Amino acid sequence: MNNSSLHSQRNLNIGFILFLTLLITLLSQISIRLTLLMALGISFGFVLQKSRFCLVSALRDPILIGMTQLTRAFLLLLGISILGFALVFWGASQRNIPLSLNVFPLGVHTVVGGLLFGIGMVLAGGCSTGILVRIGEGFAMQFVAFFGLVIGSVLGERSLKNWRNVFGEWPGVFLPDILGWIPTLLLELSVLSVLWQLARWWQKKQLGEW
Amino acid sequence: MKKTLQTIIHGPWAYWIGAIILGLLNILVLIVRRQPWGVTLNIEIWAEWVGTNLGILNDRGFTFKELMTFSGTYLNLGLLLGAFWATLVASQVRFRPIRDKKFFFSALIGGLFMGYGARIAYGCNVGALLNGIASSSLTGWIFAMAVFSGTWLGSKLLLKYLM
Amino acid sequence: MANFAIDIWGEMCPIPLIKAKKKLLSMQCGDILVLETEHSCTSRGIVVWAKANRYIIKEEEVANGIWHLELTKTHD
Repeated sequence: MNNSSLHSQRNLNIGFILFLTLLITLLSQISIRLTLLMALGISFGFVLQKSRFCLVSALRDPILIGMTQLTRAFLLLLGISILGFALVFWGASQRNIPLSLNVFPLGVHTVVGGLLFGIGMVLAGGCSTGILVRIGEGFAMQFVAFFGLVIGSVLGERSLKNWRNVFGEWPGVFLPDILGWIPTLLLELSVLSVLWQLARWWQKKQLGEW
Repeated sequence: MKKTLQTIIHGPWAYWIGAIILGLLNILVLIVRRQPWGVTLNIEIWAEWVGTNLGILNDRGFTFKELMTFSGTYLNLGLLLGAFWATLVASQVRFRPIRDKKFFFSALIGGLFMGYGARIAYGCNVGALLNGIASSSLTGWIFAMAVFSGTWLGSKLLLKYLM
Repeated sequence: MANFAIDIWGEMCPIPLIKAKKKLLSMQCGDILVLETEHSCTSRGIVVWAKANRYIIKEEEVANGIWHLELTKTHD
């Protein structure tokens, strides 16, 4: 195979590293907290690209090609996050540090929103995170998707009032308040575990091994 | 040893390794930000600011200075830079143009649906799905089922119109 | 032992893999399917799928961000 078209982008890389260093240094003069978050953001983007992690693939591939590798990896991510969040929340409440979790109100618009989001991410070839990653990778298609995302988000945000008025809304349900922490965690991890087994079975079945 | 270094630089990393690192990063964001990681809220706010400055949206009072103090701005910006850097480190940077106009339209429509759906549900795959479930919120699980159903519908559309 | 190629250039995930699966059905054991893509996820997805199906897969980055794949059908 002719490898002459594979050239090192090292110079660009060095330049970019200097740029990032400058950015981080400047930001650290303003706020350590924002600097940390920027660094975390960079880490997210880096890891997502390097591991080819795709949440759309996790939900779509069992349906379209019978593969559940990413689905199972996503379930692992969910499990780690559930445990980590519980720990952090508990730790923060012990020290009286205010911390908010994503316990969102529930309404018809939650389901409609989910449906639209699911359809949209398959058509766009990425979810909101995926779009940002692919813009970073240089995909023109996701530049266009981003444009749509921006417009759609404004339309969505501004129509929220109408959805609430027409269909109403219930406050979010924080499961530990109802079941207690330990039963909640056990329940959630059990469900994830069942889904994981199901995902593994599904792939084997699609591959004809089961 | 050299092969391991090659894999770290070029990728791909194993999915489960990605999952573990992402999980830890997700928890770190919660600690530093005192609220979970999310993507679309910040995008929407920036869109409001741009729209106001272009004169097509009524002013909701977001100033540039204010936007630059929001944690979401730095998470999203960082993500973009990080993904680019990851591609650059592996010398895989290249512009990947759209090669068929059907993908232009599916990207545009897909993006619109995603943006709209994410904001009426208070979040996207990360904010409402991943971190809704991570927050032990029932809404998160319901949203997850809705997104999965939507994925099924979207897949049908893909097979019909994009193959 | 024939070589086949399908054009998956610029196709959105997972269309390349769906097309590859379809093509493989019409191929004989020992035939090779050649693919080229500029999408890291597509390339990875095909490799993962091929390995899960116990096909022989060779992946090579032939230019910056362009992957060349050779999939050998080892069984029906």
